[in-house]
Amino acid sequence: MNQINRLREGGRIDRARTLSFTFNGKRYQGHAGDTLASALLANGVNIVNRSFKYSRPRGIVAAGAEEPNALIQLGGTESAQVPNVRATQQALFDGLTAQSTNGWPNVQRDLMSLVGKLGGRFMPPGFYYKTFMAPASMWMTYEKVIRKGAGLGRSPMERDPDSYDHLNQHCDLLVIGAGPVGLAAALTAARSGTRVILCDEQEEMGGSLLDSRELLDNQPAVQWVERVLDELAQCDNVTLLPRTTANGYHDHHFVTLHERRTEHLGETAPQGAGYRPTRSRMHRVRAGQVLLATGAHERPLVYGSNDVPGNLVAGAVSTYVRRYGVVPGNKLILSTTNDYAYRAALDWLDVGREVVAIVDARQAPDGELVAQARARGIRIIEGAAVLEAKGGNRVSGARIAAIDAEAFKVTGQAETLACDTIASSGGYSPVIHLASHTGARPSWNEESLGFVPSLVRGVHAAGSARGVHDLAEGLADGAAMAEQALEALDRPAGPIALPQVDSLREGAACAFYQVPHEKPTLRGPKQFVDQQNDVTAAAIELATREGFESIEHVKRYTAMGFGTDQGKLGNINGMAIAARCLGKTIPEVGTTVFRPNYTPVTFGAIVGRHCRDLFDPERYTALHQWHVEHGAEFEDVGQWKRPWYFPKTVNGKSETLDEAVARECLAVRQGVGVLDASTLGKIDIQGPDAREFLGRVYTNKWAKLAPGRVRYGLMCKDDGMLMDDGTTSCLGENHFLMTTTTGGAAGVMEWLELWHQTEWPELQVYFTSVTDHWATITVTGPEARKLLSEITDIDLDKEQFKFMDWREGQVADVPARVFRISFTGELAYEINVQANYALHVWTTLFEHGDKYDLTPYGTETMHVLRAEKGLIIAGQDTDGSVTPEDLGMQWAVGYDKPFPWIGKRALSRSDTRRKDRKQLVGLKPKDSAVVLEEGAQIVFDPDHAIPMPMVGHVTSSYYSAILGHGIALAVVKGGHHRIGETVYLPMVDGQVHQAEIVSNVFYDPKGERQHV
Amino acid sequence: MSNLVAQNIRTFETHPGVEISAESPLVFFHQRSGAPAPCTESRVALRERALLGHLILRGGAIVLDEAVHSVLGFGLPAYPNALSRDEGGERSIQWLSPDEWLLIVPGGEEFGLEGKLREALGDAHYAIVNVSGGQTLLELEGEAARELLMKSTPYDVHPDNFPVGKGVTTVFAKANLILRRPTETRWELVLRRSFADYLYRWILDAGEAYAIGVEV
Repeated sequence: MNQINRLREGGRIDRARTLSFTFNGKRYQGHAGDTLASALLANGVNIVNRSFKYSRPRGIVAAGAEEPNALIQLGGTESAQVPNVRATQQALFDGLTAQSTNGWPNVQRDLMSLVGKLGGRFMPPGFYYKTFMAPASMWMTYEKVIRKGAGLGRSPMERDPDSYDHLNQHCDLLVIGAGPVGLAAALTAARSGTRVILCDEQEEMGGSLLDSRELLDNQPAVQWVERVLDELAQCDNVTLLPRTTANGYHDHHFVTLHERRTEHLGETAPQGAGYRPTRSRMHRVRAGQVLLATGAHERPLVYGSNDVPGNLVAGAVSTYVRRYGVVPGNKLILSTTNDYAYRAALDWLDVGREVVAIVDARQAPDGELVAQARARGIRIIEGAAVLEAKGGNRVSGARIAAIDAEAFKVTGQAETLACDTIASSGGYSPVIHLASHTGARPSWNEESLGFVPSLVRGVHAAGSARGVHDLAEGLADGAAMAEQALEALDRPAGPIALPQVDSLREGAACAFYQVPHEKPTLRGPKQFVDQQNDVTAAAIELATREGFESIEHVKRYTAMGFGTDQGKLGNINGMAIAARCLGKTIPEVGTTVFRPNYTPVTFGAIVGRHCRDLFDPERYTALHQWHVEHGAEFEDVGQWKRPWYFPKTVNGKSETLDEAVARECLAVRQGVGVLDASTLGKIDIQGPDAREFLGRVYTNKWAKLAPGRVRYGLMCKDDGMLMDDGTTSCLGENHFLMTTTTGGAAGVMEWLELWHQTEWPELQVYFTSVTDHWATITVTGPEARKLLSEITDIDLDKEQFKFMDWREGQVADVPARVFRISFTGELAYEINVQANYALHVWTTLFEHGDKYDLTPYGTETMHVLRAEKGLIIAGQDTDGSVTPEDLGMQWAVGYDKPFPWIGKRALSRSDTRRKDRKQLVGLKPKDSAVVLEEGAQIVFDPDHAIPMPMVGHVTSSYYSAILGHGIALAVVKGGHHRIGETVYLPMVDGQVHQAEIVSNVFYDPKGERQHV
Repeated sequence: MSNLVAQNIRTFETHPGVEISAESPLVFFHQRSGAPAPCTESRVALRERALLGHLILRGGAIVLDEAVHSVLGFGLPAYPNALSRDEGGERSIQWLSPDEWLLIVPGGEEFGLEGKLREALGDAHYAIVNVSGGQTLLELEGEAARELLMKSTPYDVHPDNFPVGKGVTTVFAKANLILRRPTETRWELVLRRSFADYLYRWILDAGEAYAIGVEV
């Protein structure tokens, strides 16, 4: 293939290495060192995309992150698809496959453009808001259609073969940008010995010096770059991160850097020696100080049809010519407001192509670059501008006329000059995005004609990033700002020797943004402000006419600077146009807020390794392996994996949840079952004031609990609402073991520490979590004593070891504490052993359990059994609005305790004394086959007109195998006094269930079974 | 050894008097997935120091320091976030919070040691809690150990900030652990039992780039 625009020599590409790539199905060649954009330009590809809204053909405009048009869909295979990659930032590799993100059937002959040309007329700003406003219910339908037509890439439909990771970095100074300013700053800081990170988004560090005409120390600037990078690479205290974009500046100098590690090598990471590197990496940097050397983006001028392929920003022309050896056309017209852009014309001329004219908006420009251009015979048209580009798929000419920038008027007769490329420059906008992420509003600098960043403490900006555009001044500024940062760190460094620059005297630039046209903006050819979002000058003018005066409103109404663009090229021009229309100055109009991320970040890099089986911690008990091997289905309880039920295989078929739970329930009621209860929170409490402390955090009394005894306790928040419950055992006079719910463990621990540390520091007591230290095995059922007695030396006699006692001894030869407490209503022993011995105890139980048909059961059976007994689960039957009395648990509230325990006062408020509070009751469905839905709403009168007054809801509901009917716990207004009444539960499907309000204790109401 | 009641505290010997196999929190992982063996390319090695004795000490620094000194011959670390060790490095004490230290000793020593400390502490207000079943200790060693830690914890593990003898409780992946640096080359991680499997899998995943090897 023929690279028609490739220069025979020059640039930083390796002509010896030819790379093939495919764009929109066509094969091309480029060279190592190319970006996809430079390779496309080398091959004379004019149209790289179709525009978002109007479907106009679009070409490459810029050479960096600010490129608005060359957004491509990367990837030759489905799994490697990456949307919205800027071709200007994608290094070329052999075999690269890319497509335009918009355009159907292809960008050359786009059918949508017909619609766009017709439709564009009818799509003013706010079109979507106006058209699709009503009915609101239809928005979801509209949205799908709009999305499909909108383009802007698509995500892969297959699993990503690559991996990604995070690296947490810390440094004293983070320097963002490795152009001349960043390099001078990094070198200064490096010599101080502080920890420095230097990152740069490009393939190579060096920034503008990679295509500079200027000499440093009388040598090409790149030689200085190489020397500095060599020195930095030698420094142990410096981390160099090329291909790394600082995308987000978060609080306290936390900056996220996205490093593309293998994206220049292939579409998936290459297989290394035994290991495939991560494709990209998120560096999570916590910096002491941050120095922004992010440079500036050149502003294009806003003129008619400025989006026809062949319109570029001036600096990009220089970059393509000097860095990539590509000259993207033959005949150039430059339209400028400043001296610096003259470089583009000189660079163009240097490689032997024709410069038709330089059109300068200023009268009598007189800088040294202007003089050079004059001396080389370039025609300079003063006080004029390009009004309008001519051409369809490529620029064919430019209409030029004298203008009055101040009066926004064309003052002369237009002439049309033939050309194929128009470069424009309207000045330079400091890249203030990162500074803006900190929340600091930038301020307008009249001298450099741009917004310069306002800086929060610890952030420094240097060089172009703060409007210091001259190279010599920028180098000095970089070093000086680094010194300033080092002083803040108290690590001052000596000055470095800056390279010698022969600065050229520049004439003043003029403030000029939108070029006037003979026709009014609304009638003339489209003047694009934001090409990515298809926002025109006319759209902004219309928005201001419709009353949008705040720039934030204008932005939202027109979509200017939205999405991946973040206003890099267009925002200042847009503000200038809004300011003109509103009769204000740019600083009066102000700027919009830039948000992270600066450029799109692949989701993989955000997720890192927190995916698949490492997505979230899974907490396991000491018996987890046994559960897995015995076919348990698991339930998530917080981060714990608890066995939910243990399905058996019956007649070659695995039991359903209902079948397994019915079997497990009956086993416990009639034989013996075993539960892994290790996840219960356990807190060791020691100290002479432990008992007093318990009395203050629990609602019930603890003064008389003797060693060897256990008591159930309720814990309320200070609002009087139940927070957690559990048993606490008295181990010694000054020693207690508290249990909490599985999910509440950490919260209760913090609660105890909070009250101890802030309210009662005088109490001598310590709390230590022992949740993980102990494994808890619950053996329960009528046969529990017989089974346990086979393997323990503890006297299990019912008079010696009563309900709510605990004893110490050996179980299966392992030292154990055994607690006779019951969450099933049956005879039950909770065996606590050091977790490392749990499996031995558990398997020994099974060795002895065969003859009792010992049945392992899970959380579902546990829930049913406790519901049959009316025992609550904090968090299921309570929701933070339920008091102990609402639960009918007055017996566990010690109103006469000497110290006012947490929640006591709230329980005497009129609201908590109300008679019609929702109270916990049992519900027995009238139809014994019905199992009510948890969450179902309860009404007293099903014939009441809708909306019916809702008087409560079902909190727990199960089928009880032992009772042969459904049971439910519910909260019902005034329920405690409504026992025997019928309530109704209207369901979504129109059925209305009837249920009788009954006691919440369905089974063994006298509680005899747990005492046997 | 019998359990003792001193100052109305009930201590508890957790180890059986007969030979019974104990299982570290990592048993499940080892049996399920195995562990990569060390090889010549390994730039980081992982070892578990299973079944050690772990005691939490709570109380005032001065009384605890005296008691620990008299029983173990070395004292509490002199600073927050610091670690002190006996000469052989077998026993260590780490500052965890202003009134909390972690004492790690060879497995089986913890019960006797607790008794001696209680004796030495007399009437002082303090707490000693055996948590040996609830945690385990991992060692990371090798040139890539620090980078592996950087992948995993937001805490700054650069030698400037994390000299030998330091120890912290910090975030690691999406869990917590205790991270300490007893020697120039070795890092220790104290994990809670229930999180151990997750953390272990995380470490092996993060270590893949450095051909991590598990030394048994």
